[in-house]
Amino acid sequence: MGILQELSARFRPDKVKLQLDDIQALILRSRPEPYVGIHSMIHVDEAAGGRDLLRRLADHIPAASGWTDELDSWTGVAISYDGLKALGLPETSLGSFPLAFQQGMAARAEQLRDLGENAPETWEDPYRPGTCHIALTIYARDDDALDGVLAKAEAELEKSTGITLIGTHRFGADEDAKNPFGFRDSISQPLVDGSGVDPLPGQERAIAPGEFILGEDSETGSPLAMPQPEPLGRNGSYIVLRKYQSRVGAFNDFLRGQSADEAEQDYIAAKMFGRWQSGAPLPLAPERDDPELGADPQRNNDFSYEDDHRGLVCPHAAHMRRLNPRDSQLTILSDVNIHRIIRRSSTYGPKWSRDVTSEVDAQEDRGLFFIFISARAFDTIEFLQQEWINRGNFVDLGEERDPVVGLHQTPGTFTIPETPVRRKIDGVTTFNRLRGGEYMFMPSLTALRWIGDGAWEEGASP
Amino acid sequence: MTKSIDPRLADESKPEEIRRRARELAEDLPQLAKIALEAMIRDHNPDYKGTANKAGRAGMQSGNVSELTAIAKVKPGGADRLRRIFDLTNGNMDGAQRVSTLHDMRFVFFDDDTQILFATTYDGDWDTYINDFATKIPGLMDLLFANIEGWPGIDSPEVKDFIADHQIDASGWFVANPQVTVVDTRRYQRMEHALEDFLEKSRANADMDPATRQALDELSTAIAQPEGVDY
Repeated sequence: MGILQELSARFRPDKVKLQLDDIQALILRSRPEPYVGIHSMIHVDEAAGGRDLLRRLADHIPAASGWTDELDSWTGVAISYDGLKALGLPETSLGSFPLAFQQGMAARAEQLRDLGENAPETWEDPYRPGTCHIALTIYARDDDALDGVLAKAEAELEKSTGITLIGTHRFGADEDAKNPFGFRDSISQPLVDGSGVDPLPGQERAIAPGEFILGEDSETGSPLAMPQPEPLGRNGSYIVLRKYQSRVGAFNDFLRGQSADEAEQDYIAAKMFGRWQSGAPLPLAPERDDPELGADPQRNNDFSYEDDHRGLVCPHAAHMRRLNPRDSQLTILSDVNIHRIIRRSSTYGPKWSRDVTSEVDAQEDRGLFFIFISARAFDTIEFLQQEWINRGNFVDLGEERDPVVGLHQTPGTFTIPETPVRRKIDGVTTFNRLRGGEYMFMPSLTALRWIGDGAWEEGASP
Repeated sequence: MTKSIDPRLADESKPEEIRRRARELAEDLPQLAKIALEAMIRDHNPDYKGTANKAGRAGMQSGNVSELTAIAKVKPGGADRLRRIFDLTNGNMDGAQRVSTLHDMRFVFFDDDTQILFATTYDGDWDTYINDFATKIPGLMDLLFANIEGWPGIDSPEVKDFIADHQIDASGWFVANPQVTVVDTRRYQRMEHALEDFLEKSRANADMDPATRQALDELSTAIAQPEGVDY
């Protein structure tokens, strides 16, 4: 059973406490497996043209009310701060957004530790500050469905004036849903309280909806700050978009250099990710991969770290354990429930194979769009980059960084707890290089129409 | 050359100012040159290396360690209330201890208890964990800061702006161990005890193989002879 059928079976309309008919479906709808889709970026040259596009677009953005239904395709839309400015929003509204959003991702490079080869000066052109105003993502069940919806979208764009299409990027993966390194990804997702679905085994308790939907109560017990006025802010959310180029060859070469045989390569890679390639998590499959377990959503996330305080099964430094420590003992007072993210990442480029070497990396044709949704998306990504990715202090590992997504300006280490003595591997480099990114606002359907109609202007149609 | 904002120098004429600055420089120069020279010739161990960065939005940062200095108005009676809290807890605040990024905190009242100076040294950037405090120890944070005029509450969206608005960057600040976090220090202490235990057991092991003996001898050379503290 696929993820969506499975969700549909668990959906209970009487448990819904959110205004699903006003929330973009993409926030709650998981990516299907297999999946295809396209990201596109639009620049607004004239406010009137941009608003006209949004007004027409609003009719094509599905609401979350049917978020567990089967759909052939669905579209999500998000707008950057420069985009809101270009659309002519009033100063009072613009100033009510979080400071980090107003500054944009490139200006937050210091807080994000986006330095050296990840610095904004090195990013691809579409991510230069002030370029990306509107981001559209279309997901589809298969290529035919995608082509169908693309033809419609192109027709709408052709009717538009005052906007420029900056670029598009097609992505997709087969039913194994694997990332560029050959690992099944996006398995663990937070459950939004009030969305009408009970937790999966191991999904932990439902997270307060205000962590993901603006205007709802957050984990503090009250709502987070919301853009003003209410029709603009309520039922919206925020998105972090970061495009990574994956150096699959360098990763393979690194594993080869550390291992006597293929089994040892797989062992070290699993310790780095926290899961085997199939998605089977180390805590449930300590010795070897278990593809049946990896593919079973009822079991592949049903674990805790309660019995693994030393990290002998899943290292504290493993990517999966760093980014969601669950019940691990951490050195620093932290609330793991306010750093959860709804992940909507997508993979692009050729499938992984063991024989890829670092010469291939120069083609820069594989990678992933790391995309997530959270009502505190900017605080969260800056926290993750500073504390859980580019440092080891929170798990008593000093300066050690995430072995998969960390920035390693000089080669770093990776600690694998073993008996009687830990194994410390040198030579970890930046296996995922940042090529650009932006902070985005994901408006409600009401807000899309509010912006589209220019509702703040005198004499605007109601 | 920027004009001083010290009001006592307001009447100084331009030539007087130039003469004063020249005189001050001549007095300070020999010692300054010595400090600069020492810094240049010393081959710095990266373990001791400090930096002069900004700690996120405000304050200074040296290596992993940052400073926060803030001055604020105290509500009427607030100083007494806070003193009672400090007396009751003996300065030992549970919750603050669990934070594990705090090296120290200092509360100083002045101007007849109408103002407070709050100064702290901590690891990382100042606002990184503030959301965690708001959900994990909101009571403690509000207990300490509710006596400050205008405190919006730890869970308020305005709390970051409030703190930043009251902060004053330190002009000079010295950190003995800029690379060492509070968490590191605790680990070093644990390591010290475990190492003593290990050395004791090793001493008792008469059948040690040569490789182990050699490794232990190198360990002792590295840790068991006095060494001056070099900053």
